[in-house]
Amino acid sequence: MRSRSQPWLLALFALLTVAPLAAGILYALAYSLGLTGLLNTGFTLAHWQAVLGAGVFWQALWFSAAQAVGAISLALALALVVVLWRPGAFQTGLLSFAIYLPLTLPAIVVAFLAFQGLSKSGLLSRIAYALGFIGGLEQFPDLVNDPAGIGILLAHAGMATPFFILLLTQLYEQERVAAYADLAATLGATRRQRILKVQTPLLLRRAFPTVVLYALFVMSAYEIPLLLGSQSRPMVTVLAVEKLQRYNLADIPQAYTISVLYSVVVIGATLWLLGRQKTQ
Amino acid sequence: MMKTIPEHVRNSWRRRLLAGLLASPLLWLALLSAGRQWPYPALLPLEWTPEHWSRLLTGRSDLAFSLFFSLGLSGGVAVLITALSFGVSRAVAYHRRRRYWLLAAYLPYVFSPVILAACLQYFFLRANLAGAVAGVFVAQVLITMPYGVIFFTNFWNGHIRSLEQLAYTLGSSRWQATLYVLWPAARGTLLTGFFQIFLISWFEYGLTQLIGLGKAPTLTIKVFQYVQEANLFYAALAGTLLALPPVVLLWINKRFVFSRML
Amino acid sequence: MLLEAVDIAKRFEREEVLAGVNVSLPASGMLSVLGRSGSGKTTLLKILAGLESPDRGKIVLDGEDITHWQPQKRGIVYLYQEPLLFPHLNVFENIAFGLRLRAWAEADIRREVEAMLADLELSDQANKAPHQLSGGQKQRAAFGRALIIRPRVLLLDEPFGALDAETRANMQTLFLRLAEAMQLTAIFVTHDLKEALAMSHRIGLMQSGGLKVYENRRDFLNEAGAGVQQEMNFWLNLFETEAIAPSNPR
Repeated sequence: MRSRSQPWLLALFALLTVAPLAAGILYALAYSLGLTGLLNTGFTLAHWQAVLGAGVFWQALWFSAAQAVGAISLALALALVVVLWRPGAFQTGLLSFAIYLPLTLPAIVVAFLAFQGLSKSGLLSRIAYALGFIGGLEQFPDLVNDPAGIGILLAHAGMATPFFILLLTQLYEQERVAAYADLAATLGATRRQRILKVQTPLLLRRAFPTVVLYALFVMSAYEIPLLLGSQSRPMVTVLAVEKLQRYNLADIPQAYTISVLYSVVVIGATLWLLGRQKTQ
Repeated sequence: MMKTIPEHVRNSWRRRLLAGLLASPLLWLALLSAGRQWPYPALLPLEWTPEHWSRLLTGRSDLAFSLFFSLGLSGGVAVLITALSFGVSRAVAYHRRRRYWLLAAYLPYVFSPVILAACLQYFFLRANLAGAVAGVFVAQVLITMPYGVIFFTNFWNGHIRSLEQLAYTLGSSRWQATLYVLWPAARGTLLTGFFQIFLISWFEYGLTQLIGLGKAPTLTIKVFQYVQEANLFYAALAGTLLALPPVVLLWINKRFVFSRML
Repeated sequence: MLLEAVDIAKRFEREEVLAGVNVSLPASGMLSVLGRSGSGKTTLLKILAGLESPDRGKIVLDGEDITHWQPQKRGIVYLYQEPLLFPHLNVFENIAFGLRLRAWAEADIRREVEAMLADLELSDQANKAPHQLSGGQKQRAAFGRALIIRPRVLLLDEPFGALDAETRANMQTLFLRLAEAMQLTAIFVTHDLKEALAMSHRIGLMQSGGLKVYENRRDFLNEAGAGVQQEMNFWLNLFETEAIAPSNPR
């Protein structure tokens, strides 16, 4: 049922979604190739060579990907354990409200709280001191602004776990996982076998697209790595913005190069995910 | 004879403990917002004061301005995008190539807002929108529109289409069908979409900072500012204010706060 | 008797769904259970399978009291109305599922599953995913998955309810053939009168929380056959008024 307004609405849609993204990436590409910008000197691959050759980008990309995979794996494992332990726990009552509470905190606040909790002078350090595990704050390990990104990982995992608990609880109900488990029981499956061979594969299979999407969000995160990251090992988004905002104008083309590379990775991953959805 | 605790009581303790754990970040945030002086190794702030809150509530703190600014900005974005994306989503949902249009919506949705802002900064500067509230508004429109379209496209399913067509066969005009059939059916979805779009804008930091250049003092900007100033009590206060609308929304209807995108 | 359930009672909140039900099933015997929705048929089957526990009563299988046994220990397979094939496994693996749980050797699994697939006319579908199958094919695969582990008792909860009339008839024939070949002991629940009569000579009627078992069709038709008589009269009258000669007048 085609309406007269359909073309206009689609044009508006393109104007507000596709066009800005395309324009942004094209501009970034042009800047990175020296075709435009403050210090442009004409077409050059020097900035691309500098970024791809220096290793700092690859390190940042690898670090971002590792953070995403690590945080998501941890959160998903925790959520699976909780949901399979008591599938109905978050469907009614106090817990069905409480599980949403962590979702009311934006990333910048989570980063702030994580800092207050995990830093050398944070709550965890104070508890450790009170219990006699450490003699002073210098003895507390580096959990934030550390090269390993432990604080970033824990903050992201902390944000993702309630989300995945909600997701898996919904899927458990929607996909009738309990019925499959009962059937498997009558076929002779022990509890362990039901968890490993039926419930977990069923849930993970259906959760996969949302999990991958969430991992892409973590890779694209800014606020948490901004507050909890280390200068020596930034994530891709922080690296790009830093180079953009620094006083060294020569860094700006590199910021745009990194942005283009980031775009390729994220858009490629999204196309793959959605293409896969179609074939399924 | 040993008395064992009945299972439903044990369960209730465990549930309360877990609920407490889930609420603890929010509670701690609220606690810090009323604190003063937290030297190492004290477990809790040494002093409690209502002063931060009273300054806020009597308008003597710039956080009050930020609160209303954020409410206005996010509210405005939510109203505009809910209306626009609802209409656009119908065109997308009923299109032959619906899949490709949806794909087009997913790309900016997944894309990092701050990288998008970095790439578009030049255009905002040229349009005199950088460092302006209008610029931040436009930038937030660009990141919420894709979400709105994806969200509302789910509404236009076969059932709704059948309802609409049924109304036409019963003699209703387009306007009547919209008013008497679609609007009642869409109310709940529109409300949920509105609040979720509001929250995307409400929680946004990186893009607001890059495009706003400090001229759009949203609560998220304030949190970062206070963190930079090592003023953790005010940062906690700003954080508590940020969490308030979603907690209220949660109280009214959980669906307003949570969505599953695929 | 292979299976005996005595005085089974179950209450859900205020409603007494089963009020002292007695069932007995001889080895290789079949029982059709008829009853309206909400009459407690599913609850009874789930209790027999160990998926629900009774408030009262006893279940004895081959002389052993299995009332409190876990479902995986009973050897009683419960089949839902929907085939519930595991979506993450293809047809072959779905049927092999029970054998893999029992850690059978790979060669033995292959042999048994291929034989079952052939029996069910599903050999060409072995590598397909469940969503690629038709309703009838899914139901056959679900049967194969249950039968391959040689259950002591098979409980079927309206297994053909979601199928069209022709597929349903084919499945009924298939099931009777397999039951005969494998000497199955089964309870077949349905709300379809014709199906209940076709599946077994022994008919159980669930109503008001109780189960009345008729040992043969005659007893059933004499007492509870009013509905059948009405339906027959309807068709005979129709044929008369439309002046059509019935093909098999009796």
